[in-house]
Amino acid sequence: MGRRKSKRKPPPKRKNIEPLDTQFNCPFCNHEKSCEVKMDKPRNAGRVSCRVCLEDFQCSINYLSEPVDVYNEWIDACEHAN
Amino acid sequence: MKDGKYAYKCEIRSCIEHSARPVSTLWINMMARGGSSAKKSAIGQRIIGVLPYVKQEIPVMIVFRALGFVADRDILEHIIYDFDDPEMMEMVKPSLDEAFVIQEQNVALNFIGGRGARPGVTKEKRIKYAREILQKEMLPHVGVSDFCETKKAYFLGYMVHRLLLAALGRRELDDRDHYGNKRLDLAGPLMALLFRGLFRNLMKEVRMHAQKLLDKGQEYGLDAAVKPKLITDGLRYSLATGNWGDQKKAHQARAGVSQVLNRLTFASTLSHLRRVNSPIGRDGKLAKPRQLHNSLWGMICPAETPEGAAVGLVKNLALMSYISVGSQPAPILEFLEEWSMENLEEIAPSSIDDATKIFVNGCWVGIHRDPEQLMMTLRKLRRQMDIIVSEVCMVRDIRDREIRIYTDAGRICRPLLVVENSKLLLKKRHIDLLKEREYNNFSWQDLVASGVVEYIDCSEEETIMIAMSLEDLGTEEEKTYCNTYTHCEIHPAMVLGVCASIIPFPDHNQSPRNTYQSAMGKQAMGVYITNFHVRMDTLAHVLFYPQKPLVTTRSMEYLRFRELPAGINSIVGIACYTGYNQEDSVIMNLSAVERGFFRSCFYRSYKDAETRRSGMQEELFEKPTRDTCQGMRHAIYDKLDEDGIISPGMRVSGDDVIIGKTITLPENEDELEGQTRRFSKRDASVFLRGSETGIVDQVMLTVNVDGDRFTKIRVRSVRIPQIGDKFASRHGQKGTCGIQYRVEDMPFTVEGITPDIIINPHAIPSRMTIGHLIEALQGKLGANKGEIGDATPFNDAVNVQKISNLLQEYGYHLRGNEIMYCGHTGRKMNAQIFLTPTYYQRLKHMVDDKIHSRARGPVQILVRQPMEGRAREGGLRFGEMERDCQIAHGAAQFLRERLFEVSDPYSVHVCNLCGLMCIANLRNNTFECKGCRNKTRFVSLSRRLSGVGARIQHEDHYHIPVCNRSQRSGSEGEQACG
Repeated sequence: MGRRKSKRKPPPKRKNIEPLDTQFNCPFCNHEKSCEVKMDKPRNAGRVSCRVCLEDFQCSINYLSEPVDVYNEWIDACEHAN
Repeated sequence: MKDGKYAYKCEIRSCIEHSARPVSTLWINMMARGGSSAKKSAIGQRIIGVLPYVKQEIPVMIVFRALGFVADRDILEHIIYDFDDPEMMEMVKPSLDEAFVIQEQNVALNFIGGRGARPGVTKEKRIKYAREILQKEMLPHVGVSDFCETKKAYFLGYMVHRLLLAALGRRELDDRDHYGNKRLDLAGPLMALLFRGLFRNLMKEVRMHAQKLLDKGQEYGLDAAVKPKLITDGLRYSLATGNWGDQKKAHQARAGVSQVLNRLTFASTLSHLRRVNSPIGRDGKLAKPRQLHNSLWGMICPAETPEGAAVGLVKNLALMSYISVGSQPAPILEFLEEWSMENLEEIAPSSIDDATKIFVNGCWVGIHRDPEQLMMTLRKLRRQMDIIVSEVCMVRDIRDREIRIYTDAGRICRPLLVVENSKLLLKKRHIDLLKEREYNNFSWQDLVASGVVEYIDCSEEETIMIAMSLEDLGTEEEKTYCNTYTHCEIHPAMVLGVCASIIPFPDHNQSPRNTYQSAMGKQAMGVYITNFHVRMDTLAHVLFYPQKPLVTTRSMEYLRFRELPAGINSIVGIACYTGYNQEDSVIMNLSAVERGFFRSCFYRSYKDAETRRSGMQEELFEKPTRDTCQGMRHAIYDKLDEDGIISPGMRVSGDDVIIGKTITLPENEDELEGQTRRFSKRDASVFLRGSETGIVDQVMLTVNVDGDRFTKIRVRSVRIPQIGDKFASRHGQKGTCGIQYRVEDMPFTVEGITPDIIINPHAIPSRMTIGHLIEALQGKLGANKGEIGDATPFNDAVNVQKISNLLQEYGYHLRGNEIMYCGHTGRKMNAQIFLTPTYYQRLKHMVDDKIHSRARGPVQILVRQPMEGRAREGGLRFGEMERDCQIAHGAAQFLRERLFEVSDPYSVHVCNLCGLMCIANLRNNTFECKGCRNKTRFVSLSRRLSGVGARIQHEDHYHIPVCNRSQRSGSEGEQACG
């Protein structure tokens, strides 16, 4: 019966670099984490679509783009349309 | 760089002075070749930046574009100052290629904002977010106001430039262990930090209070909103526990910041006040931060560090080192502005290459064309203490063409004598003025102000030329090693810290011995402070007849070791005599001990207060009586006075009551309905430590902060040296007393001198404490000459031959040996004995405080195993390694006895049906298992189930729920399972 080790451990430090989100909330149906992005790097096209309401959007991307950028572009497009 | 992802890293930790904001860190890294980075861009190593609050690495060129420098040329101008440098141009190419797709400031900001802000916000918000990060969070020391972009771009460019230089192998990597790159926190900044945090909390509370009331539409008053206790309690908590920071986040806060000042001996107090702690985990495997670094010379003692886990992490300041308290950079900036420094905002980037960059507190403020002249002026100003405070550090890096000025707090500095044209600026008249300082008030500060002495910090130290001694400077005719000395050491012995300065001839010892002595000197008894007789320290040792050492170092004068000594000049023989000094034990002279040799007094103070408790419980100092008081121990209460406190002069021994205190019991009527209560009080007295005896020395009765009656009682006892007590010389040569011989049994010389202490010669060769022997010789000479011998390190004027020759003049053997006669037989001994006066210390470890044995005694309430520790009269642990040995030995029955029968034997009755423990009433032999309704079939497990510990574990399992069913082998019943 060893004595229990003290539980005073500092919480893990937040990392400076963390992976960006790849699933997003849908701007149309407001469903959480329903939008997925497909990045077609060779064709420089990014496509984001919602699993739930099947709303989608397509835009051109470059090699620096991340899924967030495509999604943000979508948001901007929505904003523009309104 | 070990980190696989990056080839090179450039890190800046930036903070605004006098602000509670956390330090903001920015990295500029060069990706390693190949690996994951290869897929993204063409061949080459990209450079990326890691910005605060941004989740991804940002290509550095995008950061520039976000700052408003869009064109490639504009960016390159900030990074590469010389465009005719093809190698460097080649290095940035991959980065430029990578950022090719982002060619506008807004696009760049959007790029950064997209990786920082939450996804799903509009473009304007993203851009605003990115702008704010760049303005407020990135490089805050450069500026957090509007229009800092130019400066930030220059700084960023400079970082990239440094990175490239390192990557090209044109400069060495920075040294993390260099003390010029470190800052120490002193009490002031620490308290300020704490206060700032607490004040912010207070403001938050006030705001919340006001908000709440305003929402309700009520009026609010400041007196109700401000909780004055918040700051007081917060400060008190941190000071009491050492957890520096919010109580709620105790585990994040720094522990051990405030410590109880060590009062064992005066040197230990002084040493404790100069301690430096490195906040690196003790379990870190990295050896580098523990090692002695070149930059520590003169700043931190090379000898004084603890052994074990904290070795090299806990350090001690050298005697003369000083920690800067910080001064305003504004006057310097103003001066630079006047002194034709070209501001970064106003210059053409092309002009940077052939000018010198000026940094103030790590912030690039401008360039200058004539660094030589500027440095001369700056130095002159500092020496005159005009505009520039003396602790400001100024470095001119000729190779990098930089001038770095630091005014911040926490740099370690040390004073040096200023040399000009191979001559000290310190002249005879300064010394004369100092000699008459009682009349003219001429002090150290005046020396600094007159530019004769200068404070130099770790980084500036590398740009100056220091002569070790006056002789090194040489005269004009002589050819010296160097004639460009700018400074001269005050004395090389100043590299040592407090504890190492007490060692005579430390330069003749093997270095770990000095480290051992530095630790041991803190345990020596002496006079720890002159007012010890009125102080009520919890523990105190005072030596009866302390002597100032016959052999001293010059530093000891300033440490007041002569006024408050911790040791006795003893006649020490190094001999094999009777064999009672083997393995680092020492033979002592009983007759000397009886005359008071190394006798000491031990004080222990006990304290108690009549704390106000909640409810009806009331504490009272009084003499508890057995008829009204519950829980009185089997101890002598009669020694107490009527007021419940023992009187001075009373002899007390183990478990006597020294403070009588009672607590009134709360009246819970439901329990004792109808009955008359027997006890109205509960005993809460303070008892003397079980293993100690003594005489009550002093009693203090007063009132504490809360207005409660408060008492402290000091008990004194005389400790006469006895077998097992610990003694040490000043060279890490410690030993316990092996035997005490009367004077007639000690060896004697022709003069009739007998040693007080005999140590074993085997203690010397392998340990190489030559300093011990030289001290002894110097002590013998000093005793004959009638003066104090000098043992200052690095002093070539004192050497063994000189001491020997002088000693011979007094008619003694050249090397201090003596012909001695055996005390038992009176016959001349075969060997001559090295018999000399040597300064010995009595250490605080004494057998009487350690001796411990137990046959039976108190047990822990929960598990009924023996208590732990001597203070609780505990058992000696038969640990797992001992257990392993017994198993290997095959002594299982012995183990059973040790671990069960003499530990926590317990018997329990078990139901034969369910295998669980049952209710057993042994008095009338009735048993019952509630679950099975079984009253007949039981088995006693007294000899099988071991221990209360096991029973409790079973009960614990029962609640989980897991049942441990016990079964007789081969009997009825199902498989045990819960």
